[in-house]
Amino acid sequence: MKLLTLLTTTVAVCAMATAAHADIKIGASLPLTGAFSIAGAKHKQGYDLCVKMLNDKGGIGGEKIELITSDNRSDPATAISQYERFINVDNVDAVFGTFSSRLTFPVANILAKYGYVHPIPAGGALRIYKQGHDNLFYFQPNAAEYVGSSLKGLIEDLVAEGERPKTAAVVAADDFFANAVEAGFLGQQVMDPADGSVVADLAPGYLAEAGIEVVFSEKWPEEGFNDWLNLANSIKRSNAELIVALTASAEEAVQITRALKTVRAEPKMVYYSQGTQAEFYEGTQGASDSILMHTSWHPAAPYKGTLAGEEFTNGDFVAAFQEEYNAAPDEDSAIPFAVCQGIEQAIIGAGSTDNAAMGKWLSERTAGDPVRTILGRFAWDDVGLPVNKPFLVAQWNDGELQFVYPTDEFDGVSNMTYPKQGF
Amino acid sequence: MAEVIQILILGMALGGVYALMGSGLSLVFGVMRIVNLAHPVLIMAGAYVAYWAARLYGIDPLLTLPIAAVILAATGVILYKLVFEREARSAKYSEMTVLLTFALAMVLEGALGTAFTNTQRVTSPDYATDAFFIGDIFIPKGQLYAGIVSLAIISALALFLKYSRFGYAIRATTQNREAAELLGVNVNLVGLVSFAIGIGLAGAAGSLVSFVFSFFPAKHWEWIAVLMSLVVLGGMGSIFGTVLASFILAVVAAFIGAYFGATWSTLTFFVALFVVLLVRPQGIFGEKPELA
Repeated sequence: MKLLTLLTTTVAVCAMATAAHADIKIGASLPLTGAFSIAGAKHKQGYDLCVKMLNDKGGIGGEKIELITSDNRSDPATAISQYERFINVDNVDAVFGTFSSRLTFPVANILAKYGYVHPIPAGGALRIYKQGHDNLFYFQPNAAEYVGSSLKGLIEDLVAEGERPKTAAVVAADDFFANAVEAGFLGQQVMDPADGSVVADLAPGYLAEAGIEVVFSEKWPEEGFNDWLNLANSIKRSNAELIVALTASAEEAVQITRALKTVRAEPKMVYYSQGTQAEFYEGTQGASDSILMHTSWHPAAPYKGTLAGEEFTNGDFVAAFQEEYNAAPDEDSAIPFAVCQGIEQAIIGAGSTDNAAMGKWLSERTAGDPVRTILGRFAWDDVGLPVNKPFLVAQWNDGELQFVYPTDEFDGVSNMTYPKQGF
Repeated sequence: MAEVIQILILGMALGGVYALMGSGLSLVFGVMRIVNLAHPVLIMAGAYVAYWAARLYGIDPLLTLPIAAVILAATGVILYKLVFEREARSAKYSEMTVLLTFALAMVLEGALGTAFTNTQRVTSPDYATDAFFIGDIFIPKGQLYAGIVSLAIISALALFLKYSRFGYAIRATTQNREAAELLGVNVNLVGLVSFAIGIGLAGAAGSLVSFVFSFFPAKHWEWIAVLMSLVVLGGMGSIFGTVLASFILAVVAAFIGAYFGATWSTLTFFVALFVVLLVRPQGIFGEKPELA
């Protein structure tokens, strides 16, 4: 009997010791090749840096983190199968979300089925959050459909009434994210693809609310589109004073900007859904001056987060990223870093990697007791969208991405350049 | 009327770029029966040569073109020796090359991504975003220059094929490999040189692409369907057919984009591919395949 007790105790102690030293496994499926490879690679940098820094500080609760990343080739079916594999084969304790609404939408069902907390770095389409899942936590300011509210606010707050643009051309990639942003601008209904029901009716749309008439709208196909000059020529011929170009990637933003410069379009204001990245400026140079774009992150934002239980500011992140990769970060790396911070805080807050407990802890965050990240504070509503978190609007001027709106979010806001003086 | 002329100009300008991108693909198929799905990623490689030459040394991509062509041609020699030569006499060679080049495209994409990252790139000489304006009509300088250079290269290639002794050998091999070999043509050497020229054309096209379109390693997947449409419509193996198809499809796509929406312009290439394969599988200038 004593021998049996001794054996049992030994096994139990060994099991506890193993548990104490067990890694926390986290899986992330990212588009490292394919159409979303540019942003996907940057997301990997953000996740990798955060995990490395956490491990350097001893991990989470003394446990080292093992991050398993897989390339989903920008393919939804591959992303789904990789998360299935993370959960059923690799037995991961938690997951980090993937990039893009197109990939996040199907992945959301898988992670909900297995009850995993689904922290989403990039997946702003409202339809994702209207599927009835309670495990979603979006780490950007709001759903893509509501992006236009920032531009409307900016026009109303910063442009004198007689000088505001009166007409707009709205062009968009035929892409999950771009379509969502467009729906908000044009006041369209958001439909559930499963049953055709109306998820949200956004009428009359932010442009109509701002008193701006849409004189031209057009979509280009998601992949394989090369006729940018033709599209730019049509935009120019519309004589629109505001150009809203909703691209699915910064690469498309480069193409449309160069085309608009070539045709010598002369709008008063230009607004993009992408373009905060350094490569955008490299590809467009002076043509990018005065172009506005929404962003979830800015290097100058004085946000204070935590990492490994210590204060970790946005400035700390910029410095750490620069040291690790010898390059300046942009929002495609900052957002996944914030996701990682959020999961770390959820594990600590829940006291374990039990996803139900982590989800409960995250959903209980409030404005006074939020998740603190380099993107600022996060607390979420019932569907997983952040509460009271405005988008930032930035503007390129002389090679510098300046933060111009909202003006009361924090210090360091720059004056907006208006009207745009050609491309 | 001005709008019609403008759309025509834009279509023609784009067609000129497509022509060089498709010509190498057509030549390689014509001579070697290699369906080279890796051709677009090799164009990306040429674009990177132009990009880094511009970034590091400030060299204009038009001047880098011969360098990119030579580097890629040398790459073509290596690839041919390593990958394609051994199975050149196989009865299922063409079918095999589809899988071989698909795998090669993935390997090269990964290699480019590792070497140059997945960041988008584009070269920015002044003319790339400038245009000649004649009243309301404009001619984009970047695409105009690219088209002129493209047609000059293709013309030089056509003259080489038509009048040089080696060109005879290439044409003979294209028409009937076995008969050419019986007549003393070193078909292995012809295959090697043709493949190198084809890949060299990809390098040259890459230099032009570098300032006409932005690019990154994975971008090549978007190009393969467009280029295959051009080559199939023109007649696989017919360089002249590929050039003609490039202008036809680019102009038609431009008009469809302008009048029916940009969403439909890309569809032009797929519809053309579908219709040609149904109605005239050999394309405009291709030879009708013999029945077994």
